[in-house]
Amino acid sequence: MPLDTSAYGLALLRVDGRRWNELRRMHAQIRTQAAADGSSYLEMGHTKVMCVVTGPSEPGPRRGGLGGTASGGGASSAQSKDAEVAVSIVVAGFSSVDRKRPGRGDKRILELQSTISSALAASLHTHLFPHSTISISLHVLSQDGSLLAALINAATLACVDAGIPMTDYVVACTAGSTSTYAANDEAADPLLDLNHQEEQELPGLTVATLGQTDRVAVLVCESRVQVSRLEGMLAVGVDGCKQVREILDRVVRDKGHRMLLEGTVERGAGLDDMEVD
Amino acid sequence: MPITITAPKPVRQLYEDQDDVMSDSDSDSQSSKDGGNNNKYKNMINMIKAESGAAATTTTRSSTKPTSHGEIVTPGEVITDDPQWMRGHGTFVAPATSAIISSVAGTISRTNKLLSVRPLRARYTPEVGDLIVGRIVEVQAKRWRVDVGATQLASLPLSAINLPGGILRKRTETDELQIRTFFAEGDLLVAEVQQLFADGGAVLHTRSLKYGKLRNGVFVAVSGMGGGGGVVRSRRQVWTMEAANGGGQIDVALGVNGFVWISKHVETPPDLLEKTAGITNIEESVSATMYSSQNDRIEAETMREIARIRGVVTALVENGLRVDEDMVMRGYHEAVEMAILSSAGPDDIYLGGERGQQLAAALTAI
Repeated sequence: MPLDTSAYGLALLRVDGRRWNELRRMHAQIRTQAAADGSSYLEMGHTKVMCVVTGPSEPGPRRGGLGGTASGGGASSAQSKDAEVAVSIVVAGFSSVDRKRPGRGDKRILELQSTISSALAASLHTHLFPHSTISISLHVLSQDGSLLAALINAATLACVDAGIPMTDYVVACTAGSTSTYAANDEAADPLLDLNHQEEQELPGLTVATLGQTDRVAVLVCESRVQVSRLEGMLAVGVDGCKQVREILDRVVRDKGHRMLLEGTVERGAGLDDMEVD
Repeated sequence: MPITITAPKPVRQLYEDQDDVMSDSDSDSQSSKDGGNNNKYKNMINMIKAESGAAATTTTRSSTKPTSHGEIVTPGEVITDDPQWMRGHGTFVAPATSAIISSVAGTISRTNKLLSVRPLRARYTPEVGDLIVGRIVEVQAKRWRVDVGATQLASLPLSAINLPGGILRKRTETDELQIRTFFAEGDLLVAEVQQLFADGGAVLHTRSLKYGKLRNGVFVAVSGMGGGGGVVRSRRQVWTMEAANGGGQIDVALGVNGFVWISKHVETPPDLLEKTAGITNIEESVSATMYSSQNDRIEAETMREIARIRGVVTALVENGLRVDEDMVMRGYHEAVEMAILSSAGPDDIYLGGERGQQLAAALTAI
């Protein structure tokens, strides 16, 4: 079913009933794996992603003469002054409609890995952990569009859970446009948070920002789109990132409050105490 | 057939007090079809800019706005913009400002003018004097590299161990050549942090009879600092306890890094003590067995009680309780009571699931 028919123009509702600036239901959890340093689970609509962070830790002596198996990482960690962020993504065979055998060295996966690695390396305070590696392992359980955005959000949450210092959350979101490139409609409306069907048919981009600021950390556009539409799409995407940040922040705070109530974390000085003496 | 268009319903809010983020959700209600789209986006961009400005002011407001005591801060949150404070761990200062911003999720701790954030959970950070349990991962020419659960491997120089034949002997080239006879890869040891490097790396030493290679027991790794239980720094980290049910004496070593060692207590053979006189000779005879990797014979009763103590430690961690001498001892006695009452008798050492919760409830009730 083509999406750029008159239905959107009349009702202003998308195929899944959302309006142009609505996110899908977003659900997130942190500390899902007790044994890991940091872990998270994130759903953006039907896109479901799991993340486990190990480290920062110093890798032991290399065995078997092979270099680091971690992919998507930066330079070799042994001598570097900064921690290396190594990302590995596993896409489950059952995650999309057609079952695919995971090919080794899939170029798309490699690109996702290096995008996430460089985005997080810029936000995490890697200079605090020389000679060490932060290894982020992402598992895609279900795909319904906005995969890169979901992966970035899950990785950020897991890093927060692991207690790795960072400048701010790196939050991501997708934005699209209501008509195809071929329609050559200069004045098409922007859309927020594309699902799989919209992603297939409409032009779209993934944008990640650094928390509440307007600083863009990742901008990926893999489709053809008129340059005049780009500004609107970007604005909507950045706005969506701010909403996502609030949702992720709420997840972390809720977990923190629960830990405070259970008494597993000592209470600290409140922000209001800053005014005393 | 005409299509009836109902007016869009207001957006269901995902969270209660999030309205400032969602505030622009109605701006599409009259989507202009009259070519004013570009203006619309310009307006929208301006609106977003204004909103981000507003967001910035809300964050600065939050620095002055009193929140309830002992609140959680998250990465990117401004703690204070007052320049009188100094930043500590878990915080950073944004370039060209004086605002102190949290870089981890945790609680604020204040030491005079120093502000730091204790993370909800993080890896172990070594401090001088910490008693730790570690595992050798690499043997180098004059030192060992030890995994202590920190962000970096700790190093144990050959000169910082008790060499056989007297505590104060200098290390020789022969020692360097047979470095693997002291510790090899995979060996466990208990040591103390002697020194820290600027980058956070630790140097260990085992120059005391309390420290050295571990054998005759079981290793448990629990999460170290912060985050729902774990080992806390306390007065006594290593002690010998009398086990119930004829288990004999058991040593427990709680490493501050969250690694725990539970083993059978081995007395120095009394005939050895009689033979030798003087403190140096005792050292000498003890150190003869110090680097042995051979386990002694351990009775089934002792093994059972070691396993029970291990169960207590994991149950404490699972239920978010701190792990220290007092809690382990009380937990152990409680576990022995529970085992006697259970149908399987004293052999019942299972302390997971509901039984673990029962144990934790009994410990917190007092």
